[in-house]
This record gives sequence, structure tokens and C-alpha cells, in this order.
Amino acid sequence: MRAAWIVYRKELIEIVRDRRTLIAIGIAALATPIVLSVISQVASRTATQTYTIGYTGEIPVGLDVLFQATSLKLVQVVDPAVAAKQQVDVGVAFRPGGEIDEYYDPSRQGAQIASTRLETILGQYDAAQADAALRSRGIDPGILTPLHLVAHPLSSPVQAASNAFLSFFLPYILVTMILTGGFSAALDSTAGERERKTLESLLLTPAPRSRLLLGKIAAVTSISLVAAVAAIVSMFVALSQVSLPGRSGSNHITLNPVAIPVMVWVALLIAISFSSVTLALGTLAKSFRQGQAYVTPLYFITIFPASIILFIPDFNPNLAYYLVPILNAVLVLRDAIVHNAVEWPNLAVTTISLVGTGALSWYAALRLFTREALLTRS
Amino acid sequence: MAVERLEKTLGKNKVLRGISFSAQAGEIFGLLGPNGAGKTTTLRIISTLLSADSGKVRVMGFDTRKAPEDVRRRVGVVTADIGVYPRLSARENIVYFARLSEVRETDVKGRVDAVIERLDIGSFADQRAESLSSGQKQKVAIARAIVHDPQVLMFDEPTSNLDVLASKEVREFMVESKGRGKCVIFSTHVMHDAERLCDRITILHEGQVVASGPTAEVRGSRLELEDAFLELVGAK
Repeated sequence: MRAAWIVYRKELIEIVRDRRTLIAIGIAALATPIVLSVISQVASRTATQTYTIGYTGEIPVGLDVLFQATSLKLVQVVDPAVAAKQQVDVGVAFRPGGEIDEYYDPSRQGAQIASTRLETILGQYDAAQADAALRSRGIDPGILTPLHLVAHPLSSPVQAASNAFLSFFLPYILVTMILTGGFSAALDSTAGERERKTLESLLLTPAPRSRLLLGKIAAVTSISLVAAVAAIVSMFVALSQVSLPGRSGSNHITLNPVAIPVMVWVALLIAISFSSVTLALGTLAKSFRQGQAYVTPLYFITIFPASIILFIPDFNPNLAYYLVPILNAVLVLRDAIVHNAVEWPNLAVTTISLVGTGALSWYAALRLFTREALLTRS
Repeated sequence: MAVERLEKTLGKNKVLRGISFSAQAGEIFGLLGPNGAGKTTTLRIISTLLSADSGKVRVMGFDTRKAPEDVRRRVGVVTADIGVYPRLSARENIVYFARLSEVRETDVKGRVDAVIERLDIGSFADQRAESLSSGQKQKVAIARAIVHDPQVLMFDEPTSNLDVLASKEVREFMVESKGRGKCVIFSTHVMHDAERLCDRITILHEGQVVASGPTAEVRGSRLELEDAFLELVGAK
């Protein structure tokens, strides 16, 4: 194992001195806080933004007060239908007899939000008017709402929102950073070794090739984990600084304690198995550039199913889904974040799947690393 | 070092067709031939990077098939491709290969310092390899090939990418190694170098030995070895 340790140390020194890898990790660490900061600002702005209602006709008594309270600004226009195309967010024509015509462009997000707020206000206004009319006639307004719904949420709405946010972003960031973090190092230590013509000298040493490969895999695994940890730590630092608006004001996002060990375990499994995969592909390539052409599709093939799943709300997969590498890691992590519990059968199948992927890739990489074509195909 | 009836096919190309020769300690043995004659393939089989289809190679008593790691412990190879790790210094490159070649950890520093002094690498030993000239890189490549003090040294077209001064230093190093009792195998297609340096030569052509023996004997009555070579490969 001494040879593997020697190779591991040398590969790490080279990785640390390689600007490409350091830039990739740096970008990963910086990108997450920047993205979260932008999301937070956009969300806050959307929540507090004032939208404009262009109107004609007489405004019902008291309605203007409700408009001001909900950040809807009333502006008198000549033609509400024309104004709603560009000038204002929603156009409204107050007709005699209480009829109101609304004009808005559903392709504009601002118009949709303003329309929803308008409907809410009008609903509240109608209820208040009905309430006042019934009371003036000595009738209990409760007859309008014979059924009363009282909600009892079983978990904190803040935590639920936080879990939804994390279950979407965290698995994606973790998987992406592990795959891309070791990408450059894996290619550099295989295709790069061929390209700069150091491979023959390396294979001329008495060290068994399996040990040389083991050292390389360990180095790529380490740097993949460093990239993932950098991205996740920066994400949590960013989350502690930013907040997302909610019904009860601004909410900070927190991670369930159960998710942390699951995340570490899954990260380790992905890093080991995909280091072997990328090294095997890199061994096939004659140059770094050719290696990129081999590895880039791998990234999309693996991340694509995981990305799709993240967009399906309340997706409840059966155990077979946990056999698919990367998808299984995303699902396990999502389970831990959302349910604050470890589903042991799912985790076991995921572990077997990723360990199996790693073992097969290790075997393939070793076969490729020991074949004569490694030297004769140039 | 003895090669017996070596045969090798790469793809559809029969590269070696039953070649045999031997080289002794304390001599420079020339392996000559035009490009594609099979010189590099022969050296790669001797150094266990490739396996022969048939035939046998023994290095200091070790069979390349049965004891490849023992063979690699006793062989040092310098090629025309001066591949060094660009982000490591010259010294770090040499240390890396010393450790992989199983030099004891307590001896690594002493061995590395010794080859750095012997090859006059000291002035650039701590520079990153990416900033070195071709001649300096070739010195690093030689240093890493000899740092474990192998008994057999193989040079495969070692001067083909070097300028006149750097080539001269490599040739001097081969002569010096011969003086130290090493078995030096020099593969080249430069007849002038072979004539000056080699005690004995074997000429390969299309995977076969077309002449073998002491350099002067192969040259015969011709003015230069190149004339003999051209005759033997049917180019004259």
C-alpha cells in the first residue's frame, strides 16, 4: 500500500497546484451564496413590490383604503384594456351597479400577482359589505359561513418551507459538486498523464498498477469531497445570512440533524464510485480534451434523472428506483431532509448500488490501466 | 540481459519476427534500425511494459513474464519523450520515482542528492518542471530512471529532441555508466552516435535481426557504419 500512498500524496500536490481545480472549487464555493442571495432579494422584492391598477369609473366607497393596505396603487386611465398591455399591471373598469371588468395579460408575472391581490381585496370587500348589511338588519353574519375550517399543521410551516427549499437545492449541489469537483483531477491523472508522456515512466516502476490506480482514485475522491464540502459549507453560511419571506415574516432555513450524517455517507459513496468511473473514462482518452468529451455526457446522463425527480412534487418511488446511481443518492437525501428520518431499506439499496457501481468501475479502470493499448495507442 | 526468439504483433502488424541478442554488464549495446524496425517494442518488452507473443527475455536472471516487478527494479529507461510532471519541481519528480522504485525512505534524500549532483541538476532542482528547457527536462528524466541505481540502463532515442549540447551530455552519461559497470542499451537510428559509442550492435529491419556483433565487425571494410546499415536494409 506504500505505492498507493506515494501516488496519493503526489496527486494531491499536483491538484493543489493546478489552477483549473482550484478555480472550480472556488467558483463552487462562491456560486451558491451568490445564487441564494439573488433568490432571497428577488423573493423579498416580489413580496413587498407595489403593483399598479389602472381604472376608470367610480371607486366603491372604502375600497381605495384596502388597495393602499395591500400595496396596490390606483391610477386613473382612459382605457383600462389598453393600459393593461404595458402602462399598468391590471386594468379595471368600475361599472354602475357593482360590475367590475378586469383586464390583464397572463403572460406577465406582475399582472398575475396583481390580479390575485385584486381578487383577494374584492373578496374581503364583499365579505365586509355583506357583514355590515346583515348586522344592520339584526342577522348574524355567521349564516354566510356555516362551515368553519380550523387548520392544525403537524409541522412548522417555516420548517416545511425550509425542507422544501433544501430538498430541492442541497442534493443537486452535492451531486453536481462531487461530479465536477473531481472531473479535472481525474482527467489530469489519467489522460493528462498520457498526454504529457509521463505514463510510461510511471508504469516502469516496480509498483503494481492496482496500487497506482488506488492512489489516483483516493486523490480524486478526496478532492471531490473537498469541493462538495466547500459548496455545502458556503451554502449554509449563505443561508444563515439570507432569509426567505413567509407568512410569519422572514424565515431562516435550517437543516434537519438527521440529514447531516446521511449527506456525509452519500457524498462519500458518490465520490468513491464516480472517481472510479471518471478515471476509467480518462484512461480511455488519449488527451485531456478527449477525456472531457467522454466525461461530460456522463455528467448529464447521471444528473438528468435526478433533476427531473426534483421537479415532481410528492414523488414516492418504490425500492427499485434506489438502484439507479445518483438518482438514489438524491432520493435518499431528499427523504432525510423532508422526513427527518432515515429510511434504512432505501439507504441500504442505495449503498449497495453505489458500492457496486464503484467496484465495477474500479475493475474496468484496472483492466484499462493494465492493457497494452494504453501505451501502444498513441 | 538476453533476448531469445522474440515475436510480437501489434494490431495487424507483426512488429518482431523472432529476434535474439544479448547485452553484458560494462558495455554499450546498440540496437539500431530505421523507424518502425521494432526497436521501441523490443525495449518495451524487455522493460515488461509489453508482453511478447512468444520468445523469452531474461534480465539479470529474472524472466520478464514470471517476475516483471523484479525486472523493473533492475531496469532504468530513458526515452525521447521527456515527460515530467510540470507542477512538481525537478527534485520532487526525482523523489517521486525514487519512492515508487522502492528506495528506502531513509535513503531517498541521499540518493536524490547524489543523482542531482552527478547530472549537474542543482541549479534548477527546485524549479517547477514546467519552466525547464528540453535539455534540463531530459536530465530530470535520466535522474528519475537511475535514482534506484539499476544495473540495466536503456536509452530509446534519447537525443532525438535535444540540441547539440544536451545530446553531448547524454552521450557522456552513457559512457560514464558503462564505466560504472552498467549494461547500457542504446536504441537509435543515428549511425554516427552508434559508431562512436557502442561496443556491439544489433541491426533490426522489419522486425528481424539483419546483423549483429562488435561495431567494427559489422561495419567491415566500409568507410562508415551508415554504409553498412544502408546495405543491410537494402537501401543501397
